[in-house]
Amino acid sequence: MVKTLNRTALALVLVAGLVGLQQVQAPAQAVPRQLRVAIGIDADRLDPAEQTTTTIANVVDYMFETLVDLHPVKNELVPRLATRWQVSRDGLTYTFTLRRGVRFHDGTPFNAEAVKFTFERLQDPRVAVALRFLVQPIKSVEAVGEDTVRITLSKVTPTFLSDLSTTQFAIVSPAAVQRAGDRWRAAPVGGGTGPYVFKEWRRGDSILLERNPAYWGKKPLFDEILFRVVPEAGTRLTQVLAGDVHQAMLPPAPDVKRLRRDPRVTVVEAPSDRVIFVAMNTQWGPFKDVRVRQAMNYAINKKAILASVLFDLGTVVDSPCPSMMFGYSKVQEGGWPFNSTKAKQLLAEAGYKDGFEVNFFSPTGRYIQDFQFAQAIAAQLRNVNIRANVSTMDWPSYVAMIQTPLERTRIQMLVLGWAWPVLDCDGVLYGQFHSSNHPPRGLGPAFYSNPKVDQLLERERQEPNVERRKAIMKEAQEIIWHDAPWIWLWSQKWYVVTAKNLEGVLIHPIEKWTALCEPEAPAVGHHCVTWK
Amino acid sequence: MGLYLLRRLGLAVPTLLGVTVVVFALIRLIPGDPARLILGLQASEDEVARLRVELGLDRPLYVQYARFFARLVRGDLGYSAVTREPVIGEIGSRLPATVQLAVSSIVLATLVGMAAGILSAARQYSALDYLVMTVALFGVSLPVFWLGLMLMLLFSVYLNWLPAGGYGTPAHLVLPTVALAAFSVAIIARMTRSSLLEVFNQDYIRTARAKGLHGRVVILRHALKNALIPVITVIGLQFGALLGGAILTETVFAWPGMGRLLVSAITARDYAVVQGVVLVFAGLFTLVNLAVDVLYAYVDPRIHYG
Repeated sequence: MVKTLNRTALALVLVAGLVGLQQVQAPAQAVPRQLRVAIGIDADRLDPAEQTTTTIANVVDYMFETLVDLHPVKNELVPRLATRWQVSRDGLTYTFTLRRGVRFHDGTPFNAEAVKFTFERLQDPRVAVALRFLVQPIKSVEAVGEDTVRITLSKVTPTFLSDLSTTQFAIVSPAAVQRAGDRWRAAPVGGGTGPYVFKEWRRGDSILLERNPAYWGKKPLFDEILFRVVPEAGTRLTQVLAGDVHQAMLPPAPDVKRLRRDPRVTVVEAPSDRVIFVAMNTQWGPFKDVRVRQAMNYAINKKAILASVLFDLGTVVDSPCPSMMFGYSKVQEGGWPFNSTKAKQLLAEAGYKDGFEVNFFSPTGRYIQDFQFAQAIAAQLRNVNIRANVSTMDWPSYVAMIQTPLERTRIQMLVLGWAWPVLDCDGVLYGQFHSSNHPPRGLGPAFYSNPKVDQLLERERQEPNVERRKAIMKEAQEIIWHDAPWIWLWSQKWYVVTAKNLEGVLIHPIEKWTALCEPEAPAVGHHCVTWK
Repeated sequence: MGLYLLRRLGLAVPTLLGVTVVVFALIRLIPGDPARLILGLQASEDEVARLRVELGLDRPLYVQYARFFARLVRGDLGYSAVTREPVIGEIGSRLPATVQLAVSSIVLATLVGMAAGILSAARQYSALDYLVMTVALFGVSLPVFWLGLMLMLLFSVYLNWLPAGGYGTPAHLVLPTVALAAFSVAIIARMTRSSLLEVFNQDYIRTARAKGLHGRVVILRHALKNALIPVITVIGLQFGALLGGAILTETVFAWPGMGRLLVSAITARDYAVVQGVVLVFAGLFTLVNLAVDVLYAYVDPRIHYG
């Protein structure tokens, strides 16, 4: 009995080895009929206007297209459904020339009327537009001719063109929306212009798309695309290794180091615009003193934590705004320096020679290694006599805690990540450091308040001149950096793992992957996902 | 019997009502703002406030419960705040997957568990007995998410025999069934064994053996039937648990069942869905318990329901 068992085990190991060897060679394969992509969450809804999560917006991008698009390599705006645009001198009127000969999946023509319909629909309160503040500046939309649209704004909005590249502004077919009625949200049949057409959404399981044979751009490579909902990171990775799927988002972070050397797969990784930071409540006890906040920054060795706790899935920030955003200006080369002597000296000057006790919250599993690096930070703070007590809670409670007003807040310091769907520094600077965004109005848990910064950020929002706007944001970044309302940490990477044969997948800084083909951009040309 | 069933079903109603009150209160007592969670951190406060009103979250709790209850009486579980689809539909699209997995697991667990328990009891203190009980110990102790990943690694990545998670074909059902059944197999095997051993000491078994009956006949005809009551109880409890608690298995195997629906509804604070799913779970559990009671009477004619 035991002998048989042994022999079986040996055979099993041998078979496993052989199969393993076969997989290593990864011979050239025919293009699969169906591309399968594992995503971590199920869709809530598929109407582009009502998108709330980046990953589902990414799925929607295969079916629906926006007027302008953000190029992932160049990080600049490129034409998609609009071929040209002009902005009036006062920055209030945008005139778009639309691509000709494009049809929606239902056969109706894409034209100025469709654009007008889409934008007016975004203003309809019955449509749940999560980022409606991006729509609010729009005063009117006019169809000037068949292929010309004029959009008038009620106030100067320097980020308007970038805003238009977000999925919620994707153009939908008026006929399809009206035909679908209440079904539209879950089954947007025939409504887009993109390379793939909606086929079926099986709740909790998968979303199936089919090739659009009449696509105006480069012909789609795969007959079908199946997005499989796989909540567990380890399972997503297993599915890639087993050949069940060709691409999976966010495999387990601790595996990434090994996967980078695995000949069967490719890890595609890139910095994202999600900055990870420790917000200090600047209106609580010791943190009222800027010297203490600076000392906190000196006390943390970010590079060491990145290497040992985050598997290098991050880049140390050198400004309040991450580097891929418009308006970014480097404040301190290499990030805030690690210098515990300096930290102790500043603490002593502020009267905290013996340190102090502070509560320190971190979510678990929301950001890469969040609870783990929070503990590393607490350990490093010990070296300068600051006793940070780390605790965690589930995400809904965490958000509720952040939304608590100052009088009742429990926040002394906490880990948070902030990303913005548009690559413009305004998203992080105004969203986190303008005093109007103190909780519960906004979600800036540092309760940072500096009238000079407020004034700069208000000016930046009304400045149509690109260079002057950059200069204003540069000044704001410098002031905020030295005021140190946060412990400046890193911008987190975003990553997917793909089968070796699937080539050309790119990661956008806004935590998306390329939806097959990028629009043509000067100096980069056409970029597409291919199968080798 | 018919009257008994009706009365039992009638008694289930106040139980389920109690469940609705508890669930309604619990999900609202834990912190978390559904509107903010649904719209995301970047959404503006105006939009969040608008959604709160739309979901009726600005109303006092008793008004919210009254609305929920009025709908429930009409058989309407309300709408999901996340997908804005009827909760009935959400549950309907997930229920088949859950039932499928629970049924296949309980069938596998019953067959394997009882067989192992019988073998083990028949050869008490033999090497086989020790082997079965040791394996059973592993079955109870292995966390399902680890076992699931290991099964996928072996059968999907190395051997390429079965898909690594997902839903649709019978092949997809194999690994989650095995992973989910492991715990129940172990419990059922241990219960069958101990229950049988107890019966073995009874006089009538000695009589049966003394009559010269074949060992197999003694065990299967005389002993097993009398040892079944506690086993059925355990199987019933396990089945109820499988119907409602396969959350980890569903997560690891990307199985689109109700457990995952419940977890994602809780993390989104999607109140209507949480209430609906728990209500369905409670209803299923009640039904399973009722079936177990009926089975008792069938197995042991001394049990009467009047």
